[in-house]
This record gives sequence, structure tokens and C-alpha cells, in this order.
Amino acid sequence: MKMNIFLHEIRRHKQSILTWSISLILLLFVFMAMFNSFASEAEVLNQTLAQMPKELLTAFGLDGVDMSTVLGFFSFVFLFCQICLAVQAASYGFGLVSVEETDLTADFLLAKPIGRGQILTSKFLAAFTGLTLTNAVVWIGSFVVIELFRDSRPYETNTLLLLLISLFFLQLFFLSFAILLSLLMKRVRSVNTAAMALAFGMYALSAFGGMLGDETFDLLTPFKHFDPNTIISQQAYELPLVMISVVIILLSVAGSYWLYLKRDIHSVN
Amino acid sequence: MNIYLRELKANVKSLLIWSGAVVLFVLVGFSKFSAYEGNPELLAIFDSMPPALISAMELRAFNLTTVTGFLGLMFTYFSLMLAIAAGTWGADIIVKEERDRTVEFALTLPVTRARLITAKALAATTNSFILLLVTWASVLVGSMSYQTTPEFYQFLVYIMIALFILQLIFLSIGIFLGCAMKHYKKASSIMMFVLLQAYIVSMLAGLDQRLEFLRFITPFKYFNPARLLHESKFDPTSLLLAAAIIVVCLAGAYFTYQRRDLYL
Repeated sequence: MKMNIFLHEIRRHKQSILTWSISLILLLFVFMAMFNSFASEAEVLNQTLAQMPKELLTAFGLDGVDMSTVLGFFSFVFLFCQICLAVQAASYGFGLVSVEETDLTADFLLAKPIGRGQILTSKFLAAFTGLTLTNAVVWIGSFVVIELFRDSRPYETNTLLLLLISLFFLQLFFLSFAILLSLLMKRVRSVNTAAMALAFGMYALSAFGGMLGDETFDLLTPFKHFDPNTIISQQAYELPLVMISVVIILLSVAGSYWLYLKRDIHSVN
Repeated sequence: MNIYLRELKANVKSLLIWSGAVVLFVLVGFSKFSAYEGNPELLAIFDSMPPALISAMELRAFNLTTVTGFLGLMFTYFSLMLAIAAGTWGADIIVKEERDRTVEFALTLPVTRARLITAKALAATTNSFILLLVTWASVLVGSMSYQTTPEFYQFLVYIMIALFILQLIFLSIGIFLGCAMKHYKKASSIMMFVLLQAYIVSMLAGLDQRLEFLRFITPFKYFNPARLLHESKFDPTSLLLAAAIIVVCLAGAYFTYQRRDLYL
């Protein structure tokens, strides 16, 4: 790893890290502020839900969500945090190497006496550090807003930790998968479009699959690998699904190095 | 006209990818719908469901055992997809000249800046419209194997009009951002925030009655498929808001691009 590339990359992401962190904090705050008024209503709702057949609840993702509990309500916000973090990770991933090519700085960078592997490592670590900083903000923010608004209702700290740890994997998934995709493409035209499409595509798969109760979608999308409702109701990860994510992360990272080392780089003239 | 055709050609690939995604989505959705069709047990469940949580998922207002109800449910996903496509196309079509360093060339053509924007905006609108037609066609194909009623086709027309207005809203926001932002990278990242915000707020607004007012800040809530189905009319306030956003954004786009300092 080269420190100056790393620092340069961190500086490049500085503003974006800040904006994402602030938006996420706002999101958490606004959502959890409604918890109290919502929780009392949800208790009535729960009684009705309890009378329904289990299969149907599962099909609609209503299984295991108890909106009157702290974490049950939190899982709702958490889903949006997941989407935001996924978009952020994907946009860092898509931009990681492709930005040098669109800005025509790739030949400058590659002319430096540093191996391509090192360049990729430094950039990858820098992007991941940025994501982790945002993640840390989400961690702190979650604990703070829950403490602020839970109104002495109890919650399981361990389950909350499980949820928050899953963000780490989700970010890695989107970061590494997006890098791989960007290297498979000849040229990434718009980083943000690609990132939105990837993150929202995966989210739509998960939401739509959940609605239809189809298990095959579960395998494809990381939003299902780390489904907050499942984590809350089982107080554990669904290991086989998590393994899929981990394998995809490893394969994407390996594939990215392989592709980048032999990438044909388009330069000025 | 040259610019218009050139822009259309340049966007063919992106259009094809989005069309593919939409077609795939519709076909998968409708093939799964067979599990719901005419399932009375499911209907009984929905009738007994209390509003709070279910309304967030838009399940309440529709009879999911009919194609019409299913279509209403899919509206959310359609609007999300088409809005992302339109928004990013709008920002991209302006911004790409600077990104690809062709802006000097484009502006030395004997065409005023205003006409350049007009041509580009029309091209992006055409693209959005084609994507809409693709959506329309694939819904028609997907619903063929199910029992449809005249009501279904009427509802489909309403939905498509609503989707088109949504596309225009996000398209004009995109074009405005593309024209007004100093640096080209800003435009697309702000567009991303606008889309995310609109989606998240729309979910929030559905959560609770007291948050009804939120629906004014998110275009995704301007058109309520349930009301389109049951009342067969658009909400005038929302239409007015939509028109206002489009007009203001486009006016802003022309105004700012005229005096734009190019990023080279």
C-alpha cells in the first residue's frame, strides 16, 4: 500500500463521506423520533397479526417484525440505512478505477513507479476506510437515537450489534462487486447511475422476492443475505446466505486484481 | 435536429439495458402472480389486516387476487425504475459533454445554447417515452394469460399517464441539475440524493396518517395508484405541483445554461 495514494483517495472522498454521514444521521433521527407515537398503535396491530396464518406473514415479510418493539421499529429504518450505504459503497466501487480513465489521469498514475496491484490495494483500502467511517457514524447514531427515543422500552444490545455488523459485509459486497463490474466494462459512463442501478436493483429483487415469497431471489441479493427481520427474529445470521455474500466478496476482489493487472487502459491519444 | 438524432443514437445502449430490466421485471412479476390469482384465502387475510403497517406497503387498497390489483402493487416498482432512468438520463445528457470534453465542440456549432438544450431535452424525453411504451407493452403481454377486465385497461392507461408525468418531473430535475451545477460530477451525485430522498420520504409518508403532508415533497406520492383505480382521476394539487416543478426546473435550466461558465 502506498500512503500518498491512500491519503489522496481519502481526501477525494472527504466531502462525500461527510454528506452521507450527515444524511444517515438525519434519517435515523427523523425515523426514530416517530417511534413513540407509533409503538402504541403497533401493539393493537400485533394482536391482529398474531391471528393470521404463518405462511402468509412470511410471504409478506411481516413475520418476526414487531413494530411495537424498539428493534422491530428500528429494522424499518435500518433497511433504508442499508440502501443508502449500498448506494454509497457501489458508487465508490464503480468510481475507484474508472474515474482515472474518465478524468484521463490513468496514464499519469500508471507511469508512477508503483505496481498496479499496489495502486488497487491503496485505492481499495482508502474507499473501504471511507465506508467504515460512515459505518461508524451509523453505529454511534443508532445507539444514540435508540437511547434518546426508546422511552425505557427494552431492547437486545446483541441483536442490534448483529445488525450493525452486517453493514460491514453489505458495504464490502457492494464495494468489491462494483469494482469487478467496473473492470468488466470498457468504460463506466456515469458512476452514480451505475451505483444506483446496482443498489436499487438488488433492493428491488429483495423486496419483490419477499412479496412473492420466492426463495430463489434470496440467494441473489445481499439485502436478503442480511435481512434485518430475519436477524431480529432469529437473533443470528442465516449462515448459508451470509456465506454466499462472503464468497462473492472474495471472488470479486480476486477477479478485480486479475482484471486490473492486465487491463488495457485508454489514454489521451 | 442533428443534435436530437445524435443524442438518440448515443443513448440507444442505455435504453436497451433499461428496457431489458423492465421487461424482465414485468415478466417475472406476472409469472409469479399466478400464485395469487383467485386465491380467496388471501383475500380474506387482506380484509382483516389493520391499516398502519400494511398501508406502508401499499397492500391495503388493492385486491391482490386480480390482475388490476397486482398492477397497482407493481406501480411503486415501475415508478422507481422509470424515475431513476429519467433522472439520470436528464442529468447525463447535459453533463456528458463536459465529462467527455466535447462541450467546446458542441458550443462552437452554429446553434444557440438554448436550442442545444431543447434538442437534448427532447431527446431525453423521447427516450423516456420509449421506455414507457416498453413498460406498457410488456404489461400487456404479461397480463395476456390472465383474466382482464375493461377496468384493467382503463387503469393501465391512468398508470401510464402517471408514470409519464413522474418521468417528466425527474427528467426536468436532472436537466436542471446538469445545467446549474458548476462541476459535472456534482449534478449526478445531487440527482442521486434527490432520488434517494424522494423514495425514502415516500415510504415514510405511507407509514402514518399524521405524515400525510410529506407526500408533497416526494413526487413518488403525487400519484396514488389506489385513488387512480377507485376514483379514476388525478389529484389536482399533485398535478399542479408536478407542472410547477417541471416548468421551474426547465426555466432554471435555460436560464443557468445561458450564462454558464464551462468546466474544462
